Amino acid sequence: MDVEMADATEQASGPSKTSKVPIPTVVVDENHPFELETYMANYTGRIAIDRLVHIISLAPSIAPQALQLAFRHIQSLRDPALYQVVLSAYEQAASLGSVPLPAVNDIATVDQRWVDETNAKNQNERMKLEVELKTYTNNMIKESIRMAHRDLGEFYKSVGDYTTALKHFTKSREFCTTNQHILEMCLSVLEILIEQRNYSHIPTYIFKSDAALDQSTSVPENSKAPVGTKAKASAERERYQTKLDFAMALSQLGQGLYDKAAHSFLKLGPSAKFDDWAGKLVAPGDIAICGTLCALASMSRSAIKSRVLENETFGVYIEHEPYVRDIVEAYMSNRFKVVLELLERFSTRHYLDIYLSSHVHDLTNLIRNRAIVLYFQPFSTIKLDRMSTVFGWSVDEVERQVVSLIQSGEIQGRVDSQNKILKAKQMDSRAQLFAKALKAGSEMQSANRKLLLRMRLQQADLVVKPPKGQKPESAAVAPSSQMSQISEFSPLNE
Amino acid sequence: MNDPLPTPPLQTAAAEPPPPPDDPPASDVSNSLEGLLVQITSQDDYEILNHMLRIFAPIEVRETILGSLLPGGADPLQALDVKRNTLGILYLLSARLQVNAAAAPPPQFIEAFCQDFDPEQARLAPERVTFLAKGILQLGQQANEAIFSVKALADLLVRFPPSLHYLTPLHALFMTACVANRLFASATPILSESITEIDIALFPDLHYTDNLVYHYAGGFAYAALNQWEEAEEFFEIVVGAPAQVPSAIQLEAGKKLILVQLIKDGKSAALPRYTNPNLQRLLKNTPYFGLNRHYPQQQAQLRILIEKEKETFEKDQNIGLVKLMLEHAPRWAIKKLTGTYLTLSIPEIGKAISMEGQDEAVQRIILSMIEKGEIDAWLSMDGIVTFNDSPPTVPTRILTRTEIDVALKEAQRQAAILSALEREIGKSRDFLVKAARVKDNDWVGPGVPDEDLMFGVTPSGSWAEDA
Repeated sequence: MDVEMADATEQASGPSKTSKVPIPTVVVDENHPFELETYMANYTGRIAIDRLVHIISLAPSIAPQALQLAFRHIQSLRDPALYQVVLSAYEQAASLGSVPLPAVNDIATVDQRWVDETNAKNQNERMKLEVELKTYTNNMIKESIRMAHRDLGEFYKSVGDYTTALKHFTKSREFCTTNQHILEMCLSVLEILIEQRNYSHIPTYIFKSDAALDQSTSVPENSKAPVGTKAKASAERERYQTKLDFAMALSQLGQGLYDKAAHSFLKLGPSAKFDDWAGKLVAPGDIAICGTLCALASMSRSAIKSRVLENETFGVYIEHEPYVRDIVEAYMSNRFKVVLELLERFSTRHYLDIYLSSHVHDLTNLIRNRAIVLYFQPFSTIKLDRMSTVFGWSVDEVERQVVSLIQSGEIQGRVDSQNKILKAKQMDSRAQLFAKALKAGSEMQSANRKLLLRMRLQQADLVVKPPKGQKPESAAVAPSSQMSQISEFSPLNE
Repeated sequence: MNDPLPTPPLQTAAAEPPPPPDDPPASDVSNSLEGLLVQITSQDDYEILNHMLRIFAPIEVRETILGSLLPGGADPLQALDVKRNTLGILYLLSARLQVNAAAAPPPQFIEAFCQDFDPEQARLAPERVTFLAKGILQLGQQANEAIFSVKALADLLVRFPPSLHYLTPLHALFMTACVANRLFASATPILSESITEIDIALFPDLHYTDNLVYHYAGGFAYAALNQWEEAEEFFEIVVGAPAQVPSAIQLEAGKKLILVQLIKDGKSAALPRYTNPNLQRLLKNTPYFGLNRHYPQQQAQLRILIEKEKETFEKDQNIGLVKLMLEHAPRWAIKKLTGTYLTLSIPEIGKAISMEGQDEAVQRIILSMIEKGEIDAWLSMDGIVTFNDSPPTVPTRILTRTEIDVALKEAQRQAAILSALEREIGKSRDFLVKAARVKDNDWVGPGVPDEDLMFGVTPSGSWAEDA
């Protein structure tokens, strides 16, 4: 039991670690609709609890509802420690939140009998699996050892002890005999990593599975097997590719590499390919949202058109969240105000997604910046108040945004702050080229001069050396008699 | 009695092989100044004369005798002709200034000598010239006549090396004197000729500090004259000078380099690539490095930082530069604004460069920037500044043909210098030996790397010792 308790604290600290920026409390109201029941219907297993915990800590207004839901879900799992996690999240939300939350006991009760039963059951199961492993190890049956490790890994995962689970999975690798086994192991590890949101480790296991897949496809070729096996091998690849791509996309999103993440999300296969990961890790709607937001934040207009709107496979994902299509279409037809309004309206949905949560702010900023840049592109001058009506901001807000974009070099223009006009820079490329060439020339000459002098110094062996009697490593600074004289100079320009 | 003594520092240069027939007369005059004087005036072969002067008299009394007066109190220098007997005067005068400063020759004589001496002869005894220069400096210090010694040294320096592109030990002495006495303007004619040649054969007493001190002091002088570009280059030379361990001068130069770059460009650039890594680390730990982070916009933080590290800056004698840098901060902040805005009112500018409420000061800065051509802008009556479109770094007009021709010629000249250098290296012995060895190894294959290893180890081992 104490293993599980330790895990509970780990769990609680997990999400706060991934989201470095403190995320504001998320409001759920008429303008920011969020249907908890329908949303949660997409998820099963542990991830449902994780998501609910996330929701409890972010959105106090629906926390009680989420708590009830979580308690109901816990019964279908086998990790009683989750009660603790959910409760502590709720209590924290209650203590921090401005809205008073009803006490836990009023909403739901911990089913103590179930807890005891499950604990006992877990204990038995663990004993059983460990005995099994021991027997197999003594008998040195490779395949059985592997399976025992795998089962133990699954067991520990289900009770939430990820570290031990990882240990068993990686251990099982030593006993893998076929590429299929390696692949299976990698996918299990990936599952854990994704649940833990340990994004930086994901690519390692993706590469490992890739290698395993490559081998399993290349082996039949060498043995000159009939075409049938080859086709089977590529089918094998197809079967896992989507999972691997998804893991990759998630890790890129997690590390803030939005452009890469967009590409990965957009090349995912149909949702059927997720088989057991669908619901357990991700819902198709999430993929639509993440993929679209990343694409809007990083891709060019033509790329968005061809890869998002004309992508049939991705279109199926978008069907799950129709408002995403509205955003993209508004973006493509330059109705940026609508884009921003929709983004704001569904920000609740975005913030409450565990993968997306810490990136919503950055992504929204990026999309807004791109929108401003796109909007300004065809103009040589434009009044700021016209921009303010298009984007739905005050003139000051527009000015602030534009100025920051100019300073980051994304807009080639300048602001006439008296008349509130944004004016594109007029470049005299010819003069600039000349100036640049001349500057490069003089820089080159000065560099040459310095290098030649340095070469001569070295030829003459006029090199700063450690003073006599001092060991080179201890001589940090070579003293010189002239130094004292130099540093006695009176200060400049007094 | 002569031999067991340690060699005096002056005799580092390889002695010319003494021609045997000249030995007897040399021993004849061995201890008398008069005899020497006769030799100086009669001997026409300067190499023989130089050798004779070099081994004149037993070592302990040599300088005393050289520096003494003739019996009867007559000055031996008066009997010699500056042009014809440069070598003799060089020995006598330098010894006199060192040993017998009381009976120093009149300044006019020294001046005349410095202006008129025969460089060919002087180059035979370069260490004596250094000796003389030090003597002149001492004299100037004692008599409180810094201008005199700086001027004499300048004359000496201009005529002594084959060209001003050669580094001599005099360079460091001269520049230190200039800076110490704040005679920066007199340094510029020398400074403007950049050093490109180092010749150990001509100036055997060159030391690495000569290069460092000359360029450090030169950078200092340029900084004092507000010629930031040149100052930056000089400090960069010091920082980038070849070093096994960083020298204190390099560290000081690095600090000043950062300040100069902040003043000149509004940001500090990376150090030269070949800078000693230890030096880079040392510099990163100084408060100077931290200045870069806040410059130029966050003046409040800048002021706090400077106040906190005031002692360090004062100890390093850089407080003047630091203050200057702080003064320049608003200018850089304004310059950045020109890239973003077309028009701004003075209070808005003040807000942007964190000088809120000091509208008059802001206006003064803007006016002076416009005057100096740092920004292209105009100021209307109601306090609105309009920045013109082109950034000041780009010339508004197309260059004339002659300007382009000049630039092209300069580039061609550089290319010629480089290709000549390459040919020179290509035919040099060192290069050929190395190239041949690499080739041999290729032939033999990687099986016998021992020879190369041997070669690699032996010289570096002995080298570390004589360092």
